[in-house]
Amino acid sequence: MRLVVIGNGMVGSRFAEDVLARDDAGKYDVTVIGDEACETYNRVLLSEVVAGRQDLAAITLPVLAHPRLSVLRGVSAAAIDREDRVVVTTEGNRHRYDQLVLATGASARIPPLEGLGLGSGALPLGVHALRSIDDAREIVAATLNSRRAVVLGAGVLGVEAASGLAQRGCPVTIIHPADALMERQLDVSASTVLVGAMPGFGIHPRVGVGAEAAIVANGRLTGIRLTGGEVVESDLLVVATGTVANTSLAAAAGLACERGIVTDAGSATADGRIFAIGDCAQPPGGGTGLVAQGWDQARALAERLTGTVARGRAGGAGASDVVRVKAHGLDVVTMGVCGGSRPTDPEQRTLSLSDPAAGRHIEVVVEGDRLVGATCIGAGQVAADLVAAYTRRTPVPRDPAHLLLATLSSAPPAPSSPGDLADDAAVCRCNSVTKADVARAHSRGAHSVAEVARETRATTGCGGCKDEVCGLLAWLGSRDEARLTATAAPV
Amino acid sequence: MEAVATHCPYCALQCAQTLTPTPAGVGVAGRDFPTNRGGLCQKGWTSASVLRAPDRLVTPLVRGADGELGPATWVEALDLVARRFSEIRARHGADAVAVFGGGGLTNEKAYQLGKFARIALGTANIDYNGRFCMSSAAAAANRSLGVDRGLPFPLADIGGAAAVLLLGSNLAETMPPAVAHLSGARAAGGLVVVDPRVSATATLTENGQGLHLQPVPGTDLVVLLGLLHVVLAEGLADRAYVDERTSGADDARRLAAAWWPERVEQVAGVPAALLRETARLLAAASPSRGGAGAYVLTGRGVEQSVQGTATVNAAINLALALGLPGRLGSGYGAVTGQGNGQGGREHGQKSDQLPGYRMIDDPAAREHVAAVWGVDPATIPGRGRPAVELLDSLGRAGGPRALLVHGANLRVSAPHSTHVADRLDALDLLVVCDVVPSETAQRADVVLPVLQWAEEEGTMTSLEGRVLRRRKAVEAPSGARSELWVWRELATRLGAPGTWDTDAAAVFDELARASAGGRADYSGLSHARLDAEPDLHWPCPATEGEPHPGTPRLFLDGFHTADGRARFVAVDDRGPADDVRADAPIHLVTGRVLQHYQSGAQTRRVEDLVTASPAAFVELHPVLADRHGVEPGDLVTLTNARGTVTAVARITDAIRPDTVFMPFHWPGEQNVNRVTNDATDPVSGMPEFKVCAVTVARADLPAHPEAAGPLLITEVPA
Repeated sequence: MRLVVIGNGMVGSRFAEDVLARDDAGKYDVTVIGDEACETYNRVLLSEVVAGRQDLAAITLPVLAHPRLSVLRGVSAAAIDREDRVVVTTEGNRHRYDQLVLATGASARIPPLEGLGLGSGALPLGVHALRSIDDAREIVAATLNSRRAVVLGAGVLGVEAASGLAQRGCPVTIIHPADALMERQLDVSASTVLVGAMPGFGIHPRVGVGAEAAIVANGRLTGIRLTGGEVVESDLLVVATGTVANTSLAAAAGLACERGIVTDAGSATADGRIFAIGDCAQPPGGGTGLVAQGWDQARALAERLTGTVARGRAGGAGASDVVRVKAHGLDVVTMGVCGGSRPTDPEQRTLSLSDPAAGRHIEVVVEGDRLVGATCIGAGQVAADLVAAYTRRTPVPRDPAHLLLATLSSAPPAPSSPGDLADDAAVCRCNSVTKADVARAHSRGAHSVAEVARETRATTGCGGCKDEVCGLLAWLGSRDEARLTATAAPV
Repeated sequence: MEAVATHCPYCALQCAQTLTPTPAGVGVAGRDFPTNRGGLCQKGWTSASVLRAPDRLVTPLVRGADGELGPATWVEALDLVARRFSEIRARHGADAVAVFGGGGLTNEKAYQLGKFARIALGTANIDYNGRFCMSSAAAAANRSLGVDRGLPFPLADIGGAAAVLLLGSNLAETMPPAVAHLSGARAAGGLVVVDPRVSATATLTENGQGLHLQPVPGTDLVVLLGLLHVVLAEGLADRAYVDERTSGADDARRLAAAWWPERVEQVAGVPAALLRETARLLAAASPSRGGAGAYVLTGRGVEQSVQGTATVNAAINLALALGLPGRLGSGYGAVTGQGNGQGGREHGQKSDQLPGYRMIDDPAAREHVAAVWGVDPATIPGRGRPAVELLDSLGRAGGPRALLVHGANLRVSAPHSTHVADRLDALDLLVVCDVVPSETAQRADVVLPVLQWAEEEGTMTSLEGRVLRRRKAVEAPSGARSELWVWRELATRLGAPGTWDTDAAAVFDELARASAGGRADYSGLSHARLDAEPDLHWPCPATEGEPHPGTPRLFLDGFHTADGRARFVAVDDRGPADDVRADAPIHLVTGRVLQHYQSGAQTRRVEDLVTASPAAFVELHPVLADRHGVEPGDLVTLTNARGTVTAVARITDAIRPDTVFMPFHWPGEQNVNRVTNDATDPVSGMPEFKVCAVTVARADLPAHPEAAGPLLITEVPA
């Protein structure tokens, strides 16, 4: 069978691997057609490249070498001939398929802003999207001379890009017309805490303000005019105002396309031989734009086509709707029910802890005894624990308020003096020796660590309690002395 | 008798001891040695108590017509066993008699047991409880490094390192004297412990001495993939080392590329920042970056998993990326568990191996070993079934009808133990050799009383591959016999070929010849040489002139693979076999307590240990306890499709709220293995002891601590 995949991005390449890993019968010959000339790379980590936390080289995904896989790089599909079951490339080559998987991804949405030359296809110098490895490379180069960068759009990618630019030492303004940053994930109160935290990391947020125009001189960006007329001088604009599914190939072939290529829950289009996965697809519940969803679709489709089910971790790619912002110092995690525009549900309890001065805000949404949503800013381990509880659907505490705080360290406060230690407190764990045991040995004349060791075996295991035994002996000695003194004192 | 220098009967650290027999009993003292530096834990100090266990087996027992075990003479018992073995073999074929060994047996016994199975019984079906212990680490090391020696360097080397990543090992409870070797890393702030619990070992990282990663159970592999991801992404790898000394890095990189720290955090619950900090800490200590050295060590916590082999390979991959293995002062190692867990897996009691760590389906290996045994190579059976599969097949059509057990207490220690108990009960004949009436012995058809550690000569190979002499300090009770004698008697009755020495030194010499040229080559060793040189690590081949000095450090000149390069093995996460779900929403993890060893057959007979640790318990987080209305001391039940276990609640925030912990040393209602999972790793056959899903409930019964019974000794007629 000839299986053709259009798109060699994170989802297309992963799908090819998933199929071949399961295709023990050797049923499929797989051809992947990708328009990028470079090796596949981890698009999720582009903002890390901007931040300088990852080398460009380190985000490339080494290609699977497989006798039944051929990967065509730098080759664009021009048309799909559903009648003859052929994909035609721009070079005129024809690839017959028995099954075709579209993983064409999405492109950056460039807003219809004056000065951006919409429709011309070329952005002015200094204006970039952050969608490809070339974008990342150009942005990194631009930061070297940039005096101020502007990020337009504070969705997940915009916040990550702003953080990355700030980490490069570039002052950053982030412009967001909605009344909350990441409004799909954050409500106003959560956003306010994030806004408050941003300046500490070199980001200047402008929320509730849109951009009106890019000011361009001699083909090069010089500033952004905001609604209201204020101008932010800038020589570097990163546009992060969402994405548009790449559907033109599918639409031209007569497949139904709305926000994306319309598919059923099993990623099939109305043409039973053609499937769509990843950012180009519009499954029944809609696309999330997160790679986890694309990978889940890739795995499920590979299993469907090969008729195999491999054991895999539920939510192994991370649950499809957990959002974790990768931004140095800005710790933002959301999952499930979150954001300001969600409908109220009488079955749900919402509890929150807001600590804006410390840059912390945690909200959990509980239904029955399950966690169905959470919003975490600056929550550290609590966020990690909430994700674990959310993805695994583990039962919530009887009082869900316990979800809002990490339990305190299990280490009891060290007693200020050996005298405060309980008699049955373990002194030497390795030999089950208590304070009372040491005191008994002391009263029988064991006054050095070696003598106590001989009597009780304390300190003879890992040796970690030597200091404690010394302290205890000193305390026992001074206690005896005090008693002696008291006894000897004249009445 | 005089004071005797020997080693502790329990774990793989094999602490050096001096035993001094006195009229009142045997005195025990720690003895200075590079591993334990004179230290002993409470188990070691009290080890002599088992010599005088009130229910010590001193006569053979045979189940009579009344269904009860009753005393028999050795001749009666051995005649019976030999006759029944012969009958079963004649009727059902040689593979119908199976053998189950143990990682506590001396090298000599492990060797002789493997030989007994292959040429006296002619059965392929021999495996041992090391399958539950070291098999994943062994499989991973073999496929990556070309040889499996738990620590391929002396334990004391670790003391010089600035960072130690310890995954799934609670050293501070399981082998306390080993903790001293972590002091260098702790002083440098470089001890990193990965454990879902704030274990005693995890607390060693407190106060700036290191880091504790507390992942969701069953996600260790993901944590390791994330650490490798950060090392590669941040350019922290030792590129020259990877280029010159390894192969396969690209495939491992491809899979790790998909595990960026934020994604790892989502699955494992370990904050991304902590993962990055860990990777940087390890890199900074690595030789390529001018550090003092770094070690990656794994234990059962990460290995006893259906992806245990993959997890160990991920740990090795991380070590290889950092350029650690085969470098002085750095490396990867597995912390072996059982006393002779190392030697026990080298001399032929594994279903797929012959002595010298040779593979049983290698024709050259068969030829060499057959020559030593004096048999035709064609008569040596092939690969047998690995432990879990073997136990599951007992008494079934095509499965074994008889089982001979040495040094294992399967009714307590096997995963899904009630199922294993059913299989044992389905046998036509169960023969158990033991020193005390273990739970498994109590249900046997024939029980043969054998010797304890201080009553016999032999050798043990410790966790660092050092071959140690075990020496006799006291006479055994008159009715007990050495297993070497038992096998000779049975072999003779079965008309077996070969020689069946009963002197351990002579058996060792034969073992040495059988191991010559194998991966674990002992041919340059003998009891006499080991008496003179207590510092010899294998391989130690026989030489013409100067004796071989042994090999304290492997890999310095190359790995034991065909091309001399260590292999990155591409591994990815599949998750546990029995993950939490609506009807079993809590993870169960299991482990040990300081005072007890394995199934507790020995340590539950030591009064001091029982006083300090009388019964099983369930550790649960206050939030989880509150949810179920559980107060400290209440009885709690853990239930899943395999069964139910009941124990006393111990409420502590040293555990994740989504996880409960139970130690595994107790039988009956308190036996946590009633619910552990017997799903196995496809490569190693290791069952998934360390994670399964359960429901938690307060037992309706009022708590009866005395019902938990501190001292479970069954009276056996003498």
